[in-house]
Amino acid sequence: MSEILSFYLNGNPVEVLVKPEQTLLELLRDELGLTSPKCGCNHGDCGACTVILDGKAVKSCLVLAPTVKGKKVVTADGLCSGEKLHPIQQAFLDYGAPQCGYCTPGMVMAATAFLLENPKPTKEEIKEALSGNLCRCAGYEKYTEAVLAVSKGEFGLLPEGSDFNV
Amino acid sequence: MRSYFYESPDSFGKLFEILEDNSIEMKFLAGGSDFVPRLSLEREKIHKENQKDSMIINLSDLGLNYIVENDTEVIIGATTTFAEIEKNDIIKGEFPALIKAINEIAGFSVRNIATIGGNIMNASPAADSVPVLMVLEAEFVLRGPDGSRNIEAKEFFTGPGKTVAKENEVLTHIIIRKNKGKSAFNKLGRRKAETLSVVNAAAYVEKENNICKAVRVAIGSVAPTVLRCEEVEELLLGKELTEENIRVASEKVVDAISPIDDIRASAWYRKKVAPVIVRRAIEAAIVD
Repeated sequence: MSEILSFYLNGNPVEVLVKPEQTLLELLRDELGLTSPKCGCNHGDCGACTVILDGKAVKSCLVLAPTVKGKKVVTADGLCSGEKLHPIQQAFLDYGAPQCGYCTPGMVMAATAFLLENPKPTKEEIKEALSGNLCRCAGYEKYTEAVLAVSKGEFGLLPEGSDFNV
Repeated sequence: MRSYFYESPDSFGKLFEILEDNSIEMKFLAGGSDFVPRLSLEREKIHKENQKDSMIINLSDLGLNYIVENDTEVIIGATTTFAEIEKNDIIKGEFPALIKAINEIAGFSVRNIATIGGNIMNASPAADSVPVLMVLEAEFVLRGPDGSRNIEAKEFFTGPGKTVAKENEVLTHIIIRKNKGKSAFNKLGRRKAETLSVVNAAAYVEKENNICKAVRVAIGSVAPTVLRCEEVEELLLGKELTEENIRVASEKVVDAISPIDDIRASAWYRKKVAPVIVRRAIEAAIVD
């Protein structure tokens, strides 16, 4: 029994047909064509599907799609403003953090949400924050260093408001 | 293939109305961190014939997301997320052991959606919040069409995934009495982060001049349900809290448990390590 679901995606209101049993990950990828959230394990272990839901990082394979009614969902696609990448995205690039790249969109979202809550973290706190995101290429050190660099302001100020407070 | 339906009632009246339909299987959804992957798995595997259709009932709109306190108790709504509990000042002040346990549940992106009520109703023998709730003598409140009833944590679980709750009852809130003793939680996983417990344990101790005046110990992941270890408690009560007394009492946990081999550890290993985890929990609970 499909129903129309309305929510905000990367700052824009969307209306889409949703099945009761669909996950948010399926909805984003299969119905809305946003393939930045990856389906790694589909049961909440790997973090490749991480998105930001109402300002908090969540694994979208663990979220039942109909429950996001009226909420704000941000994917890695919604972080850049025009051609300009989000500081986290730029830092990951400059530090050469992505290897195969499969975990990267999830890492980007987890790190972004984390810095919103804790703008001046220690290295240990960053490691803990990213512990739910697995990287098969074991690029953890570079991801951690890149987030640390962003928190020290090396990649400019983190954009406020914009998509997180639609 | 069965059909799925979805409702998100915003009142108990509507909820119980939905539950009156016997032709359909009712499933309650809280945060979803356990429910949704299980549903995905069900959809991926070969479907049984003639299965009843499934109604997914989201409990998030019932107003069960809160933490309040009075002089003697703290009350946590069932759909309060672990992330919200972790950051709550009342819980930080009264029950640091609960914070410690929650900190060790998965990672922050799971704790952002996972709820304490879901962790309880899921009734996993390895649930990390449950040993702490058990030593704090928490009460779980179930609400059905005929009213509410309070059940003590240690009476609540009847097997893996099984509780005393009837099919038309919903866990609404958890009541934890404020106490003068100290509690602690200790967990052994296969890794440091994002891991399920091989063995977990919680302890609550009240002491006077280093004599044990009250003690409660609970252990998880070593039996069909989380257990209170009365064998350990009896041996420690009234004794001096020396290293040796704690060690000897902790050994008694072996008599209470019935672990199995699973993907996380063997029964043999769990029997070896259970007394150690219990001892560490008790030791952490007596630190001034």
